[in-house]
Amino acid sequence: MSFHQWSFTSTAPPEFIGLENYLYLFGWEPFYTSLKATTLFAGTTLLQLIVALTAALLVNSVGRFKNVISSSFLIPYTLPPVATGTIWLYLLNPNVGPIFKFLTNQGILDSPIYWSVQSDTALMAVIGITSWTFWPFMFLIILASLESIPEEYYESARMYGAGLVAQFLHITLPNLKTAILLSISIRMVWNLTKVSQIYQLTSGGPGYSTSILAVFLYRFANDQGQFGLAFAVGVILLIITLAFTLIFIRSFENSRGDDA
Amino acid sequence: MSMTNRIRKVSNSGGYFEFIKWTLIASMMAIFVLPMMYAFLAAFRQPNEFYAETVRILPEEPTLSTWITAFESLQGQLVNSFLIATGTTIMSMVIVIPAAYVFARKQFPGKKQLFYLIIVAMMFPYVLLIIPIVSIWDELGLYNSIVGLWIGYQIFVTPFAIWILRDYFAKLPTNLEESAQMYGCTQATAFLRVVLPLSAPAVVAVGFLSFLTAWNDFLMSNMLTTGIGPRPAVVQLYIITSSEVKHWGLVMAMTFIIGLPPTVLYLLGRRQLSQSFSVG
Repeated sequence: MSFHQWSFTSTAPPEFIGLENYLYLFGWEPFYTSLKATTLFAGTTLLQLIVALTAALLVNSVGRFKNVISSSFLIPYTLPPVATGTIWLYLLNPNVGPIFKFLTNQGILDSPIYWSVQSDTALMAVIGITSWTFWPFMFLIILASLESIPEEYYESARMYGAGLVAQFLHITLPNLKTAILLSISIRMVWNLTKVSQIYQLTSGGPGYSTSILAVFLYRFANDQGQFGLAFAVGVILLIITLAFTLIFIRSFENSRGDDA
Repeated sequence: MSMTNRIRKVSNSGGYFEFIKWTLIASMMAIFVLPMMYAFLAAFRQPNEFYAETVRILPEEPTLSTWITAFESLQGQLVNSFLIATGTTIMSMVIVIPAAYVFARKQFPGKKQLFYLIIVAMMFPYVLLIIPIVSIWDELGLYNSIVGLWIGYQIFVTPFAIWILRDYFAKLPTNLEESAQMYGCTQATAFLRVVLPLSAPAVVAVGFLSFLTAWNDFLMSNMLTTGIGPRPAVVQLYIITSSEVKHWGLVMAMTFIIGLPPTVLYLLGRRQLSQSFSVG
């Protein structure tokens, strides 16, 4: 179907999506900057997984306040991404934001960091803020899975003298395998295709340093009107995301096999 | 949470373990809740407080005027957002409920392939569609119209919603419809009078999901609307933050006004929404 979309759109001359676009991209420095940012950004999915798994295990192990805690973890995710982006634009504002004010007042920093004009700090900010926003998706799924593990499994494990670590390794983790695979592959794709927050925070800059492929595409299409190049970037992005879609389908099928 | 479960937790974990657990929970709360609290309180501050040298948690002279001004200036866009999200929800329910039911209960040739297509659609990088959609919508006269957004959002909303609802329908006992038919229901009335009421929580949750997806979206609404068209609140917020902000208190109030509806809906529907991934 995805390829239908392509032929559908390129009723324009066929050389519209010629190899030249790709050759141009592969010989162009900013493309590699974008690939680097994309790789780093993809890596944060793992960071999000670690946070989500820890949070889910913690929340599942408390009796009281369980709902309050898990709901408050969810709020960053439930707000529109542009809203959380706005919140962080304020908090991290070098002139009026409280974070740099606090750090300079305490003498931890000499002066506020103008993070959006330096590529490494801009990238750090974008990665931090998007992870802060989107990790609860995996938390939700893993928590739901944890809650569905039958209590009897743990009871019999304890009868055989299994400790907490052994219980985690032999009961919790195997039972979470499907949920982790499903959530990480879908989250990976959604992370790689996020545009709005990054675009709001840095417009993909300075230069191209925070332009992950999706933002790169958006800038070609929206800012520069270079549709041919935008499509070429799109095809590359599509191939990457399809790989994760396959992982998703595989783990979904396996989970069905176990049920039957 | 069952009683035995709770007893296990108390008896099984020593004080040391409890201490680490609560320390971790507290630090996570600090990372994820404190920034939001601070930003929320900032919405009550007077403009001059933002230029103070020191950081104070509480506003010195709390004011509600920021909230009133924020609401008044966003009114038109909030109405747009509401109309866009409501229409998207209704349209998606009409598509999703029958589709999910068919996937859960019926056999037909090509079912497996079609279902995979839905997964691919669920994980499709929508940003790729921005160029074709703008030109197609323009040709069809859907550009800059609320109806255009209703239709556009179906691309985002329906695959995920079908996924969730299909799972819920599939988990209902299979003899449900059979026994309903024994009591004289047709296939259609068995669905409408037995299956649908039983699935109400999941259907409502999916409706919430459609609503908040449309409400929260920036990419498509930014592409498909202009200032003279039905611009939604999220896009307006983006435009405000893309130039220099004069009064952050006002902008924070706007942020939380826009953020409230989806947050409430998500928290209400979250159990149903997360369940469909838990056991494949």
